[in-house]
This record gives sequence, C-alpha cells and structure tokens, in this order.
Amino acid sequence: MLEALQYATDAVSLGSLYALSALGIGLLFGVLRLINFAHGDFISVGAYGLIVPSANAMAVMYFGALPWPAVIAVIVAVVAFLALLSEAIVFRPLRGASPATMMIGSFALSFIVQNSLLLVYGSRPKAVDLWANLSRPIAVGGVRFQQLQLVTIGVTAVLLAALVLFLRRTRFGLEMRAAAEDFCMARMLGVRANRVIAMAFALSGGLAAVVSLLYVAQSGILSVQMGVPLMLFAFISTVIGGMGSLLGAVLGGFIVGILNVVLQVMLPGELRSFRDAFLFLMVIFILLLRPSGLVPVAAMKERI
Amino acid sequence: MLLSIDNIVVHYGRLAAVRGISLEVQPGEIVCIVGPNGAGKSTTLLTVGGALSPSSGTIRFEGRTIAGAEPEEIARLGLAIVPEGRHIFATLTVNENLRIGAGMRRDRHQFAQDFERVLSYFPRLAERLRFPAGRLSGGEQQMLAIGRALLTKPRLIAIDEPSLGLAPLVVDQVYEILAELRRRENLTMLIVEQSTRRAVQCADRIYVLRSGRIELAGSSSELTGGQLLERAYFGFTGA
Repeated sequence: MLEALQYATDAVSLGSLYALSALGIGLLFGVLRLINFAHGDFISVGAYGLIVPSANAMAVMYFGALPWPAVIAVIVAVVAFLALLSEAIVFRPLRGASPATMMIGSFALSFIVQNSLLLVYGSRPKAVDLWANLSRPIAVGGVRFQQLQLVTIGVTAVLLAALVLFLRRTRFGLEMRAAAEDFCMARMLGVRANRVIAMAFALSGGLAAVVSLLYVAQSGILSVQMGVPLMLFAFISTVIGGMGSLLGAVLGGFIVGILNVVLQVMLPGELRSFRDAFLFLMVIFILLLRPSGLVPVAAMKERI
Repeated sequence: MLLSIDNIVVHYGRLAAVRGISLEVQPGEIVCIVGPNGAGKSTTLLTVGGALSPSSGTIRFEGRTIAGAEPEEIARLGLAIVPEGRHIFATLTVNENLRIGAGMRRDRHQFAQDFERVLSYFPRLAERLRFPAGRLSGGEQQMLAIGRALLTKPRLIAIDEPSLGLAPLVVDQVYEILAELRRRENLTMLIVEQSTRRAVQCADRIYVLRSGRIELAGSSSELTGGQLLERAYFGFTGA
C-alpha cells in the first residue's frame, strides 16, 4: 500500500514534467499550428544556463549558484529570450507557410541549438548539483517521499492554475484563445498577431525553463541531447491528448508519465529495457480507439 | 470618400479571382455587391479587410492606402469585416466574443455604454451572454458576428452574405436590424448579397459582379425595373 503511494508520486511527478513540456508545445501549436521540435532544446538551454560556459568536464555553477528565486527568474528569462529570438529569426519569416514547412524549420532550429551547445560546452555529459537538499526524502504519515517530487507536483499545480487564470481572466488570455481558434478573424478584430505570437513563445519558453530546472534537479546530469526524450514524450502527450487542446496536452502528459512508471513496475526485469517500446504500443492502442486524441478539438478551423 | 477601391486584381495562387474591380462607398451609404457564386465578392471583401493582398490596384480608406496592410491595422482604422460564414469563436462565450474588439479601442471607458447599446439591438444575445457561442443558432451567430464588429466602433462595416444559411424569416430579422442600425447610428455599410431582391431593398447603390469584374453599377432606383440587373447577374449583357 505504502509502496503504491510512492509509485503514484513517481508517476505524477514524471507526468508533471511531461505535462509542462506538452503545454509548451501545445501553446505554440494552438496559435501558430507549429509543432516546435526545438522545444526539447529550449529545455537543454535552460539547464546549461546554470553553469559557466566552458568545455571542461567539471561543471562550475554560474547562474545556478544564485539563491533559488534568482535562479528561477534568470533561467526563465534566458529561455523565454531564446524562444522570442527563435520566433523573430526562424518562425516569423515562415509565417503563413504550411505547418510542415514550419515543423522542418523547427528541426533546423533544434540542430542549430544542439550544435551550439556542443560547440560551447563540449560533448561530454556533466554532473551538476542543483538544489541538492531537495533530493532528501521526507516522511509524511509514515510514507517516505522525495521532496523534489512533491515540489515538482506542487509547482506544476500552481503553474497550471496560473495559466488557466491567465487564459480566462486577462485580455491577453482572451486574445490568445481567440487567435488559437481563428487567427485571421481575431486579427480582423484588431488582435495584434505579433503580440499574441510573442506571448505564446515567451510562455512556452518560460514553461521549458521550469522543466529544465526540475529535470536537472532530479537527474543531476547535463547533456546536449537531454531535451530530446522529453520533447518526444511531450509530443506524444499532445498527440494522445488531442492536438490543439491544452487540457488534452496536460492530460496526455500525465497519462504518459503514469504509463511509464506502471510499465517500469509491472514489466518483468528482462523486458524493462524495452519499456519505451511497450509505452509506444499503448499509445498506438489509445490512438486506435481515439484517433483525434482524448480531448478532440471540435473546431480545428482552417484560416480564411 | 470613405472607401475607394481602384482597379484591384486578387490572385489565389495563379488563379485571378478578382480581375480589376473599382468601387466606392460614401459616408452614410449602404452599398451592396451582388453576383453569382465565384464572382469574386467574398475575395473583394477579404482583400479590403487585409486577409488577402491584391496583386495590383489600390484601396483607400479615408484617404489612406490600405491595400496589403495587416488586418489588425485595417481594423484599427475603423473598418470592420464580418466575413462569410461568420467566423465566431465557438469555444468562447458570447460575452467574450463581443469583447475581443475592445482591445484596440482607445476609449475603453465608453465600451460599457456601447456594449449595452449594441445588446439593445440583439436582445437574444443579451439573454445568452454566458453561453459558448458555438451553441447559438445560425441567426444568433450572425447577430453575434455583427454585434462583435459593431463593438470595434467601425466607421465602415462590411458584411459578407448576412443571409447565408439562414431561414427566410431570420434573414428578414437580420435585415431589419441592419436597417435600424442605419437609421439610429447612421452606419455606413458594404454588404455582399446573392439575392438581387434583398440588395435592391436595402442598398443605396449596387455593384453587380461576374467572373471577377464589375458588370453593372448604379443606384438601386436606377436598377429596379427592367431586366438590367438580372441580365448583368446572369451574364446576358449582349442581349
């Protein structure tokens, strides 16, 4: 019973990371119909932002050495800036191009970011120690939890609530929802395309930054390709959730996280290394039952 | 001159949908564009709204060139488009739909007052403010689209086929409201319509479009009676 509770925490905290990443992808898809495959690299950049830029094997904390509120603020700012920069340089010239073209643009961006990281930081993975005191377990009513997992779940809950309030209660949120449904009509009602798109990129970058911090605190390792699996699972989450639905993205993220842990626990030892294959099998099964995802978007309208 | 379109050509890819159209709208006028399917009516309207760019020709609104400008800039100058198919935001509430256009208004303190006034023309909407707009009937959606455009405080409102897909009785209601808006607000309107009968009833002047060109233009009184309008519409100009 107690074990089950711990596994549940594992599942939900892993699901939280996927849900936050999937949201970052979903926000851009909603407004731009862009599947941003560079999102994982935004996460990597947030993580590398913590250390001094150098190719040395030993990582020396730079921004990561600041007090924790400052770490969060700086890394969010760095990744949001990168996201805005990629909008201006890569995606603005591609605006109005087909979704496939934009997606290929995002692949290009992904390669450029990964290779820039490689150039500056070298190819060897580096160990970092971010917020080590969070990895100590704490006991709640006889059950031992890893503090970091509880923090991850808490942070995710707060961010989800904040995002809902932002989208429902603010003028920016209203404009983003309108633009996601029918971009051209929103513009004909005076909604500024550049402003809405910039906001979506900044939010997406901010979410990626939070994922970097939580993920690095958990894994303690930086590598140039660290964002790639996160991006892959997050993308799958948005697909099973239903492309274009933010609720679906979050739901999909948690489902992928939970499936991941369930498979890890249930699979016999010799099959465990094929966990992801089983996961993808289950994803295919979900899509066979619900081809347009769990939360299908009724009005995936084309632009007029 | 409020709006003047001078010899615009609009392409979809290599296909020219509009091949040199010129038209004008004076302040306070109701101008109708009529014509059969594929005549280029909707394309003309979308080009005026900035959703499409003309490959040649100019469009001026209050003397300013707007051809090829961004849709949001054109909206900000006071030109509201109600496109074909209404394009309401189905997942947003009626209230939210109506408030989108408020973002660009400088006189936000005036908005509450305008909101009440616009709702007085559309009592059905007032009863359904909290509904998702997608659950409204076709007629209500048309009224929402018009109300939403009115709340941007336009100097010219361009409406594409307000009768599309609506029951005749509902169409009558929509046109009654448009007539009332003209009486009480002195609103200038450019209306695309398939029905020549409706156009003659509501417009001061009419342009007949066929295959991307203007076939005939004139005041409603000139064009009523005789076969002129029908001939232009169906393309028997040689007769």
